Amino acid sequence: MQLLIEAIGFGIASGAVIALGAVGFSVQFGMSNVLNITYGALMTLGAYIGLFLIDRGISAWVALAISGIVVGVVSVAFNRGLLAPLVKRGTRAFAIVIVTVSAGVVLQYVIVVFAGADAKSYGEQSGQTFHLLGMVLTASEVNIIVLAAVLMLGLHLLLTRTTLGRAMRATASNRILAQSCGIATDRISDIAWMLSGMLCGAAGVALAITTVSFDFSLGAVFLIPMIAAAVLGGIGQPYGAMVGGLVVGIASELAAAFTNPAYREVVAFGILIVMLLVRPHGLFGAAWATRRLMA
Amino acid sequence: MSGARGPILEVEDLVKHYGGVRAVDGISFSVERGAITGLIGPNGAGKSTALNVIGGFLPPDSGRVLLDGEDVTGEPMHRLARRGVVRTFQMARVFGGLTTIENLLVAAPAQRGETAMGLVGGKRFWGGQETEHLERAKEMLSAFGMRDKADEQARNLSGGQKRAVETMRALMARPKLLLLDEPMAGLSPSLSKQLEDLFLELAHDGLSLLLVEHSLDTVERLCSKVVVMAQGRVLAEGRMSELRTRREVQDAYVIG
Amino acid sequence: MGAWEFYLIVLLVYLGTDLLAAWGLNLEFGVTGVANLGYIVTIAAGAYAYVICTLDSPASAGGFQQYVGGFGLPFPIALAGGVVAGSVVGVLIGITGLKRLRQDYQAIAMLVVSLMAATVVTADTPFLNGNAGLVILPQFAPLSDQDPELQRWVYVGIVAVCCVAGYLVLRRFTTGPIGRTLRAVRDDEYAAAAIGKNIVVLRLVVQAAGGALGGLSGALLVGFIGGWSPGAWAYVETLALLTAVIVGGMGNDRGVSIGTFVIAILLLQGVQFLPQISSRLGLKEDLGWIVLGTVTILFIWFRPQGILPERRPKYGASP
Repeated sequence: MQLLIEAIGFGIASGAVIALGAVGFSVQFGMSNVLNITYGALMTLGAYIGLFLIDRGISAWVALAISGIVVGVVSVAFNRGLLAPLVKRGTRAFAIVIVTVSAGVVLQYVIVVFAGADAKSYGEQSGQTFHLLGMVLTASEVNIIVLAAVLMLGLHLLLTRTTLGRAMRATASNRILAQSCGIATDRISDIAWMLSGMLCGAAGVALAITTVSFDFSLGAVFLIPMIAAAVLGGIGQPYGAMVGGLVVGIASELAAAFTNPAYREVVAFGILIVMLLVRPHGLFGAAWATRRLMA
Repeated sequence: MSGARGPILEVEDLVKHYGGVRAVDGISFSVERGAITGLIGPNGAGKSTALNVIGGFLPPDSGRVLLDGEDVTGEPMHRLARRGVVRTFQMARVFGGLTTIENLLVAAPAQRGETAMGLVGGKRFWGGQETEHLERAKEMLSAFGMRDKADEQARNLSGGQKRAVETMRALMARPKLLLLDEPMAGLSPSLSKQLEDLFLELAHDGLSLLLVEHSLDTVERLCSKVVVMAQGRVLAEGRMSELRTRREVQDAYVIG
Repeated sequence: MGAWEFYLIVLLVYLGTDLLAAWGLNLEFGVTGVANLGYIVTIAAGAYAYVICTLDSPASAGGFQQYVGGFGLPFPIALAGGVVAGSVVGVLIGITGLKRLRQDYQAIAMLVVSLMAATVVTADTPFLNGNAGLVILPQFAPLSDQDPELQRWVYVGIVAVCCVAGYLVLRRFTTGPIGRTLRAVRDDEYAAAAIGKNIVVLRLVVQAAGGALGGLSGALLVGFIGGWSPGAWAYVETLALLTAVIVGGMGNDRGVSIGTFVIAILLLQGVQFLPQISSRLGLKEDLGWIVLGTVTILFIWFRPQGILPERRPKYGASP
């Protein structure tokens, strides 16, 4: 029983990070209708920028904010410079996926060339350990859970209470209709990519904080659980991704605790495959996103 | 063969939920043999969904579809096509990477070159049949005045040409029943007229057609029988000239 | 044997096995439109199958490797085992792509399948010796009573014969009525179904054939190298093949052959000849991937049809 509760605790912590990344990924799909596989490498970029800053004495949380902003800008440039033009030209969805996979590979190995392929670490970040309801969590894990919750709430308020948020939701569900309502869809798109890019960079730093050590494959490894979470919750739908993140995180930790630790990854793979084959629109899929999934 | 004199297609209490709505809410009608049957109704009446279900593109939630008296409910598209039910799509869907004539050749039914024997035997096995199909395709292209576009990549054709290719392709498949979803949409009046004459000729030669169409004039000219749908249900069946005067049909078009 | 001669032999074996794999991937993706990002698994399946067919049982081989099988079969049969394994795995992967999903989603599904396979093999050590991989001892030696130089050239000859055979089988699928039908499936699956084509059967047959070519590629390669481990079949390897297919010309067998030559040989081998910039290990490989990814993006941007675009047969338009 103790094992179960502890595993759930770990699951919530990792689930919070997965949710952070999954929401960003989902927003990008919702806004631009692309599966942005480069997202993984961009998270890695975030982690390494954080490393650069931390090594120079900046606190991890300031580094997280700065990383988020940098990756946000890079994401906007990436969409504007490469993805959006290709989509506009009518390039097929699969070709765009190949482009994002390739860009991810390029970015990943550029990072290797500049920073080396060896294992990196942020150093001792954990802080003191807390025992809550039988779960064992470090201070940084608690901080990240709080951060994720705050960012999710912020996103929710943005989407539901502001004009910008309404414009974003309109653009995501029907771009042409939004344009005819006078919404500057390109600008809205940029903002969405900026915000999701910031979540991406923050997720990268959060991953680096919560793992003992990491290398250039960090983003690639964690991208799959995030896609699984996004699909589970209903891709294009940020709220679903939040729930999906927790589910994937907890399920993975439970599997690792009660079977082979190596099967932690397999749980995420399994969830993704099963969802794609059985219920691609996810648990809470929005109708408009569902239509985009089917051929 | 049962039903050789009766209607070629019968739809019984067909229901289909689509996008959270009862798009098709228990419809029943029959398609006449060797004639053109029209399926009309205001926007959102469920005509396209009905056609999609009959054509095997979507499985029905309940109800039956009978072809020549045989129950073919829920059969997938390719199986229906092999039975002779061929459909065209609202947006002309040509095989862009193939040439115009290849678009026709690919539709020829029962090709020897597509079997396992064909893979093993090679050209010696399927060459003869291929030549026959080639002749048929060339004739059809000539009949539609597109012989000079035979070797053109289909993706480079104009909209009207693509629509013609789709119709030719459907005919190459030797259909018994042709399901047409607004085949004249976007065509010039002269091309429309040519297509109308073609349909009448085909019906005269024994082909059955089910036509979803917006223009009531076209329907009056072509269709011996008309089925009116509104809000997922069948309002009325009969000859266009009679139905036009019926109150509920007029209402449907005003409201719907 | 001079270093150059040996290098040439290695190059030729790599070229031959890459060609088989590229042809298989082109059949699946370029001709039939199946976005199989997990293709590398068919190659791995072929390699592993060859190994467990060739090796003697684990105990009698000294027990320092754990694996299933170990049948001690001769070369041709082990090769056939590789082909069959690749084919079966190809069909299994293909099943995950059958759902009526958008093409990029299918691609992700098949990619995830390949990652799962890698994870399972790595984690489950008794299956295929886990992360350490498998080594073939003794290595295959054709005409073992002759000198090693000749043996290696004989192996090149074997690879060449397999390539010719593979190409002839490939052409049966990519030409004639079936080639036309597969391209129709690629261009518009539903329209193809509407004229009577059985999409499921066609796709699975293509995955079986493409997988067979991949399996043959993997088996020949492992027979030459002498060992295979999970590191050898990272998902990026499919990307290299995909680049070769795109650069050469999707749907064009000859184009894809040229693309393979350009990518596999010029690019990936050519990077070896770059001057040593820093003392870091693996830098050249990293640069290789950077160049590869960039080339892929450039081609999709500027020339998606590739060097040799697909050409359809002409039937003589004039009446």
